[in-house]
Amino acid sequence: MSKTIRLGNRLRYPITIVKLLKRPGDVVKAQEPLMQYSFKWMKTVGDSVRGETWEEEQTSIVNWDSPSDGDLKEWLVREGQRIDKDAPCFVVKEACSHDIQFQGLCAICGKDMTEVNWAAEERDTARAPISMTHDLTNLTVSADQALRTESDLQRRLLQSRKLSLVVDLDQTIVHACIDPTVGEWQKDPTNPNYESVKNVKAFQLDDGPLGITRSCWYYIKMRPGLEGFLKRIAELYELHVYTMGTRAYAQSVARIVDPDQKLFGNRVISRDENGNMLAKSLQRLFPVSTNMVVIIDDRSDVWPRNRHNLIKVLPYDFFKGIGDINSSFLPKRKDILPGATAEPVVNGNGGSAKAKPAASEKALDELSEDTPVTQAQLEEQERTLEKQMKDRPLQLLQEQQDKEDEEAAERATLQSEDGDDTRSSSPPPQRHQVLRDDDTELAYLERHLTQLHKAYFAEYDRQQSHNGAATVDARAIPDIGPLLDTLKSKALRGLKVALTGIIPNEIPAERSEIGQQLISFGAIILNRVSPNVTHLVVNPQRLLTEKLKRALRIPSIKIVSPEWLAACFSQWAIVDETPYLVHVDVSNWPGRGAARDSDAEETDDTTKGKRRDKVLRLKPSLKLVSASGETQELDDDSDDEGDSDDQDDEEELALMPDDLEDGQMSPVDGLKTFNWGSADAELDEFLAGESDDDEEDEGETQDTDGVTDADEPTPSRKRKFEGEEGDTEGEGGTDSERGSQSESSAPRPRSGQAKKLRRTQSVRGTSSLRNQYVSDADGDGDGDSSLPTPQVTGDEEDVKQDVDLKDFDEAELEAELEAELMAEFEAAPDAVEVGGEREQEKG
Amino acid sequence: MFFLHNLERRVTLHPSYFGRNMHDLVTTKLVKDVEGTCSGDYYIIAIMDTFDLSEGRILPGSGLAEFTVRYRAVVWRPFKGEVVDAIVYTVNSHGFFAQAGPLRLFVSSHLIPDEIKYDANATPPQFTNNADMVIEPGTHVRCRIIGLRTEVGEMWAIGSINGDFLGCLQA
Repeated sequence: MSKTIRLGNRLRYPITIVKLLKRPGDVVKAQEPLMQYSFKWMKTVGDSVRGETWEEEQTSIVNWDSPSDGDLKEWLVREGQRIDKDAPCFVVKEACSHDIQFQGLCAICGKDMTEVNWAAEERDTARAPISMTHDLTNLTVSADQALRTESDLQRRLLQSRKLSLVVDLDQTIVHACIDPTVGEWQKDPTNPNYESVKNVKAFQLDDGPLGITRSCWYYIKMRPGLEGFLKRIAELYELHVYTMGTRAYAQSVARIVDPDQKLFGNRVISRDENGNMLAKSLQRLFPVSTNMVVIIDDRSDVWPRNRHNLIKVLPYDFFKGIGDINSSFLPKRKDILPGATAEPVVNGNGGSAKAKPAASEKALDELSEDTPVTQAQLEEQERTLEKQMKDRPLQLLQEQQDKEDEEAAERATLQSEDGDDTRSSSPPPQRHQVLRDDDTELAYLERHLTQLHKAYFAEYDRQQSHNGAATVDARAIPDIGPLLDTLKSKALRGLKVALTGIIPNEIPAERSEIGQQLISFGAIILNRVSPNVTHLVVNPQRLLTEKLKRALRIPSIKIVSPEWLAACFSQWAIVDETPYLVHVDVSNWPGRGAARDSDAEETDDTTKGKRRDKVLRLKPSLKLVSASGETQELDDDSDDEGDSDDQDDEEELALMPDDLEDGQMSPVDGLKTFNWGSADAELDEFLAGESDDDEEDEGETQDTDGVTDADEPTPSRKRKFEGEEGDTEGEGGTDSERGSQSESSAPRPRSGQAKKLRRTQSVRGTSSLRNQYVSDADGDGDGDSSLPTPQVTGDEEDVKQDVDLKDFDEAELEAELEAELMAEFEAAPDAVEVGGEREQEKG
Repeated sequence: MFFLHNLERRVTLHPSYFGRNMHDLVTTKLVKDVEGTCSGDYYIIAIMDTFDLSEGRILPGSGLAEFTVRYRAVVWRPFKGEVVDAIVYTVNSHGFFAQAGPLRLFVSSHLIPDEIKYDANATPPQFTNNADMVIEPGTHVRCRIIGLRTEVGEMWAIGSINGDFLGCLQA
């Protein structure tokens, strides 16, 4: 093993070789002088105190010491040679190349690699920097050794016609949770979930974080068909486990999935050995070439460098609402298709959902420093797990389900369409289960992997026959990345997809996770809805988008839910759209009519299940009016929120709302916790006491509804509104007059309010410009455009009083300030006097 | 190699233990603290006896009593060139790991006789010469230590089974 040694950067170039002390063939030792060289330098001489100094050129002769041991083979410099910069100096035949090192020891010669050699520029430990074994980090190898090992591996695999498959655990082939509810359900055959959880395996870990989760049970549900899948795939692929769980966790799961260690053997790598808390890297296992490696994982963002090798699978979400128990370390996932895989927001689990992004933010901030991240995140994970233990999200879910079932049973007699609540289609004869075992992803995955294997070896055979070489050449090995890409790109070719309500607006669709996936499957993403578009993917929770509106006019566009995309992604084919078509009920669509009548919306409340969300968000503006009289302080806050909410709705037509599903705080979150029940009751009270004036209003509303139900609602409705607008303009005055006349009776002001509210709402529907104009033209005391909310316009007298009060307060405040200022100027007793006066004033 | 070594250690005792059997407690505590630890150069395998137990001195401030104990212990100091018996616990393509008591050894594939090859297809993966030699987790091997490195509380060694009478031990 010959090695060329360079002079190094530390010498004072230019140098001149004076004498070579060793001859070729001599044995050299590290730090032993090998040659002498001279260099020139300037020295300051003279008396520095008097300032009489000058520089003189000096020539020094120095020994050059050998950085390494071995036999000197050949000098690459000669005596008398002048060298200007770092250059090769001599060739040495080393006794040991220190290719494999274990914990600072050379595993070949047993030498301590941590010994510092001052003659060498590089430490010996740096000669074997690559860690490539699964279960250890302290065994490192050099690049040469890695190449050797890897080509051995490739040769072996090619001979047995296999590829490498790196398998993720959590949510890819298993789903884990620590919710103790599962254990209870397993013991209880009467539980509706018994059948589902019967096959859930459990184990205990001792090395977990301290505290409540220390020795908790982990429940592992294998993806349906996993056993057969792995058995068949193991004939085509050599399997590796790569997980972000701890070592003990990974091994326990591997033991469950593969009890004989036939599939994975000892090829298990966990976050303990990964060396990076945030990302996985194929280079950790295959440092030289990833040509023969395929990954299956439910997340693509953790594989930043290996996207071409990745087959993304649909996350396996068996324990609903749990997610990935080992994901606290990873950045929050951004690829969740709303509706399809979005974790149902269980009240109990809200905490953990919120905890995750916090952790990931931290993680991203401190990407470079590893240890603090680890500490913080370990705590974070512990907290998340603890939360799960305590809150038992599954139990909550089941309770919810039971409740829904009961309600459904009641309603079944009434034949209400509300009964089928996405889960159940038949009348519920018993309690429904929360956990269902109906995942089919592995079947598709197996098909893809088999297909890929076939394509790869077809390519390999073609190359082999082309080269005519029988031996395996490392360079002749085809790369699986492009192969996989071409295979995938055929899947959805010809699709032109537009997305709406799925990706936050600020991210370009092509760069989002879903977009990238679509492109990788050969589909084209269009940002605008045009007749070219074949499919529009809509978020069923956000139907009020401009794109959808436009798409409705073009009959060739199929409007589908995100589940369709997910199905396409998992099957690698254009799936039949029929079950995924989103039925948009145009007649009930307020955006269509270009005006929104909140009263109409309210009457819709019960008929349209999926619009409930929408209605809920509009409700506040109504309710708060009725409640405003009593709880002033609370209402002030919520009024504001109502405001912003309204504006959101207004903008929604043009602008997609931010992603709210992912546990972010929305401006209306505070309102969700508001006790609507009491507010409703209050409203009912008011409504019950209302006069005929209001009934008239109701009649009007129904009228409007009738118009809305008609086939072409837009123009007539608009006209209607314009008419109504004028109407209300006229009426409004009288109303408010009447309102002020009978201020003493409780319902009266409310009726005026309602009127006003409707007016403003209807006006707002037309256009924002108009809105501005009208609210200015309204000429109310509060015509201020910063306060366009209907609820404030309600009781003019009251508001005015309020304003007056505020003015008064302000004046008082000023007086106070002045007084204080005065107090500073004047003597202390005077100040007290002033203070006293002020207090008297206040009283 | 094993040695009988005379050592000294200061043991502190909490005031709640002060009493008649104090010396026994000190010895117990010593055994608990010291046995099985690695002092850097050697492992303390077992304490034979204590032959000198000083009288306790109260530490100002804490109230703990400090005893200076001199004791005799069996220590194991691995040397370069020493031959040890060990049990294999991990096998990978670069070599295998074995444990000789508390000492972890790595035997790299360079230090395994050429006829013993790595077989990744076996379950579990093993080194074998396709005859009597099969090295897999659990196998007893005899190896020579060729390199040693110590840090406080830990030692690592490089082993070799390249040599006469080294390698698998037939049980």
